[in-house]
Amino acid sequence: MNFDLSEEQRLLKDSVERLMLDSYSFGDRRKYQTEKRGFSEAMWARYAELGLLALPFAEEHGGFGGGAVETMIVMEAFGKALILEPYFATVVLAGGLLRLGASEAQKAELIPLIAEGRTKLAFAYAEPQSRYDLVDVETRAKRDGDGWILNGSKDLVLHGDAADKIIVSARTAGDTRENDGVGLFLVDADAPGLTRRGYPTQDGLRAADITLERVRVETANVIGDPAGAFPVISRVADEAVAALCAEAVGSFTQMQAITLDYLKTREQFGKKIGSFQVLQHRAVDMFVDLEQSRSMAIYAAIMAVESDASERERAVSAAKVQIGRSAKAIGQQSIQLHGGIGMTMEHSVGHYFKHVTMLDTLFGDAEHHLRRLAALGGLSGDQRME
Amino acid sequence: MKLLVPVKRVIDANVKARVKADGSGVELANVKMAINPFDEIAVEEAIRLKEAGKAEEIVVVSIGPAQAAETLRTALAMGADRAILVKVDELVEPLGVAKVLKGVVEVERPRLVILGKQAIDDDSNQTGQMLAGLLGWAQGTFASKVEVAADRARVTREVDGGLQTVDLKLPAIITVDLRLNQPRYASLPNIMKAKKKPLDEKVPADFGADVKAKLKVIKTEEPSSRKTGVKVGSVAELVDKLKNEAGVL
Amino acid sequence: MDLAFTKEERAFREEVRQFLRDNVLPEIRRKLAEGRKLAKDEIAAGARILNKRGVPTWPKEYGGAGWTLVQQYIFEEEVRAFPAQLTFGMGESLVGPVIYTFGSEVQKKYYLPRIANAEDWWCQGFSEPGAGSDLASLKTRAVRNGDRYVVDGQKIWTSGAQYADWIFCLVRTDPDVKKQQGISFLLIDLKTPGVTVRPIRLIDGDHVVNEVFFDSVRVPIENLVGEENKGWGYAKYLLGNERFGDAGVGISKERIRLAKELAERACVRGARLIDQTAFREKVAAVEVQLKALEITQLRVVASASKQQKGTQDPASSILKLRGSEVEQASAELLMDAAGPYALRDLSQEEREGRNEPPVGAYGAARSAPTYFYSRAASIYSGSSEIQKNIIAKAILGL
Ligand SMILES: Cc1cc2nc3c(=O)[nH]c(=O)nc-3n(C[C@H](O)[C@H](O)[C@H](O)COP(=O)(O)OP(=O)(O)OC[C@H]3O[C@@H](n4cnc5c(N)ncnc54)[C@H](O)[C@@H]3O)c2cc1C
Repeated sequence: MNFDLSEEQRLLKDSVERLMLDSYSFGDRRKYQTEKRGFSEAMWARYAELGLLALPFAEEHGGFGGGAVETMIVMEAFGKALILEPYFATVVLAGGLLRLGASEAQKAELIPLIAEGRTKLAFAYAEPQSRYDLVDVETRAKRDGDGWILNGSKDLVLHGDAADKIIVSARTAGDTRENDGVGLFLVDADAPGLTRRGYPTQDGLRAADITLERVRVETANVIGDPAGAFPVISRVADEAVAALCAEAVGSFTQMQAITLDYLKTREQFGKKIGSFQVLQHRAVDMFVDLEQSRSMAIYAAIMAVESDASERERAVSAAKVQIGRSAKAIGQQSIQLHGGIGMTMEHSVGHYFKHVTMLDTLFGDAEHHLRRLAALGGLSGDQRME
Repeated sequence: MKLLVPVKRVIDANVKARVKADGSGVELANVKMAINPFDEIAVEEAIRLKEAGKAEEIVVVSIGPAQAAETLRTALAMGADRAILVKVDELVEPLGVAKVLKGVVEVERPRLVILGKQAIDDDSNQTGQMLAGLLGWAQGTFASKVEVAADRARVTREVDGGLQTVDLKLPAIITVDLRLNQPRYASLPNIMKAKKKPLDEKVPADFGADVKAKLKVIKTEEPSSRKTGVKVGSVAELVDKLKNEAGVL
Repeated sequence: MDLAFTKEERAFREEVRQFLRDNVLPEIRRKLAEGRKLAKDEIAAGARILNKRGVPTWPKEYGGAGWTLVQQYIFEEEVRAFPAQLTFGMGESLVGPVIYTFGSEVQKKYYLPRIANAEDWWCQGFSEPGAGSDLASLKTRAVRNGDRYVVDGQKIWTSGAQYADWIFCLVRTDPDVKKQQGISFLLIDLKTPGVTVRPIRLIDGDHVVNEVFFDSVRVPIENLVGEENKGWGYAKYLLGNERFGDAGVGISKERIRLAKELAERACVRGARLIDQTAFREKVAAVEVQLKALEITQLRVVASASKQQKGTQDPASSILKLRGSEVEQASAELLMDAAGPYALRDLSQEEREGRNEPPVGAYGAARSAPTYFYSRAASIYSGSSEIQKNIIAKAILGL
């Protein structure tokens, strides 16, 4: 057993954390938010420079072969700073689909573009009716000579309005919610027939709803098997959940620190409010939630690359349950302990609260994952456990 | 030209230091450590000199416990070429460090030694000067600008109330100040490369240096705790506090 | 013991229903049913209609309807169910009762009809940056100068100050005595020179609260309520009404209704969310809490007429405390029902009055702001921690 970071992982962590410390204060974030696309292009360039945009890709494609633990390190630092840039959408989601599903030619073309920060991607998976179900795909792709024609609507596409290219899940065969028959199609954001409506999300990031009307996709831009992409999607979703768990842990860490600091400075009744025992216990509860979440985020990162689907899904769901519940517990408590000031846009703690609330709703909230875990027999139903 | 840059492992500047219960020193158990910020500036300067074609090799050296290897890796990941760890578990005073460095200089034969002006843990601000003394080399301290030509270095120094420029004949010692440069972050490509860079382990005896402590620490104290500040909600409240509580208005 | 209302009470309910049908403007009803906000003059017009037979919560002699607590309770329930907008804010619910209980005859004659008529809007200037839970440590000074007080200082978290005409304030009139003993209750016209109102945006994106600054504001001494330096007592009376009055049963009911409506439209693997056992159980659990609260409130209402004047049923002390928890739990149900569709923030489009077709399930986009704002319920008018401190001391004798 070893929970220590390797030398390279430690250096990576140091670098990202320092970059955040130097360039991503709450005030910086506010500034970045007012930029044209709702995030900082300059920071995006810094991520490229540091190699973060190439992190998870194989070395032969210009990447660094980073695994889930490396992604965890980066996402945790990002969660601490509450970053606005489309790292999750481009590198974790779309990057994951390319990594696990794309042909050599596609990887050779696209990964360097991502790594250098020249191309941003998004993954359009959700639909108006799909809720948390990734296989609930009604968008249709029909054969058209040597290409495909896409029709349908996609919802809540994270950073869909800033993306240069969008990977769309669409059904080439089968009925809605059948595992077989789902394909992945790489579409230019300005392709004829594609319209996007961008909007802010509740935590101040960006998303878009996308309509596809007779959008043509060449065969070369189909990622993987046009009728068999679902296993790739679900693997990427599990990796994504692990990444979100790490991001949440970063935010939790910061919320706990900010709140603790407030307990030590705010005075009422002539005392530091941290001297009231009832608040001390709350602070301890927050700390317990934080450490339990950290453990589960590590568990998710390690298990996210497990090839046995059932084992992987159980672990990832278990982690998301913990994270979703802690998002509520830590989020609500950190507002409560701040009193009125915690409710304002001026103070950072409310922004963290909103962000972790949204992290809970991404790729399935705690309830959804509890159900999935229970349906898979829970965690202790594993026969292979020694 | 070869450059030697000594780096020290110190408590991270963002961590609030606490004194050990027995007052013998600062608590270091479970505390985040980092490269001394001034040394980081020195490493950055060396890398810039190399990038500008003024130097061929950068050797970093750290005198400290086994974990100081982490600090050396950080320097290697920034862009230094080779590292030497001189392992000592006890705290080494500036004179001891200077003596070890003198030994390293005699083996490595650098043309320039670039050091941080001081370490943020003991704030001694002595090592560079002592090393210059032991070696009999020229020194330019508190550098805010460094220009290197074939066998000379021009150092702009931050002195009280202004700037002073000195011209040094190489080999020489430079100690760097805060405003010299903005150190880079180790990028992933460089982190990967750092893995393959050599890191030699030595002990002070290899350089014939005596690092026994000459000073005795009598006690260590935390600064008398400043009354914690309050966040004022408005200018009016601030004025009110200045008037009625601080009595300064 | 009987949970059913008496014959007279049921007749009263019918009468209220008829009154609402006859009087409330259809477009206001529609707006409220859609969860939209009313404009200031719509609220004022609505209040004038609802107050036609007197202010529901006030005694007859001061322009009230003179209803029993049970009647008030029925009225409120019907108004919410209709829906029409409820009371006319802090004038009616907070400062009105202070004025008719402690105010001078002149004050009663001047202020009460203007409140009942929705001519004056009021806001509450109690909290300060340094005086939240420890309200008595407030610092805003009022110095007597001839026939005026000169007020200097700052209030914060003042709800509705951007709409209000008047603010009722706690001010320090004697800095040299025990802090509770040097406080006075002052009525200040917000148009007086030296008053500045600045907005504070809350995390749900809305502008509800403000900062109010007083810079040498001259207030006539006639605006003092009751006696100088006795304001803390009046404030305690007011806070008692505020904290022990409303359990937010109506708000919680409405949220649960909305959550269920969303869950009927939301589908999970082709089935409706509302048909899922886990979701139904969760809703049921909140409904149980809400029912317990509702019955407690009915007990309090029913016993109030029998209590000695000036005393309260001890159970009344848990209404605000528990009420805020149930409000929060029902807001969480909204989040559960909205799921990923809570992610969109359409508030900017809403504010700018953009007329694009709504996206996603109806009401889902309001879920997150409702959840965010619900967190304030356990902070305002005395945080839950403070409520518990008070109950432990005053009721449990700890
Ligand atoms: C949306 C909203 C609307 C409001 N509207 C108004 C208004 O119209 N007018 C007005 O005057 N005020 C208003 N308030 C202010 C509200 O009453 C205060 O926020 C509240 O009293 C808490 O004070 P504070 O914010 O300063 O928090 P603090 O008092 O600083 O409290 C911080 C934390 O410490 C806890 N705490 C404090 N003392 C103790 C103790 N002794 N024991 C245990 N825990 C303790 C609190 O419970 C809280 O968790 C409003 C607040 C909000 C959020």
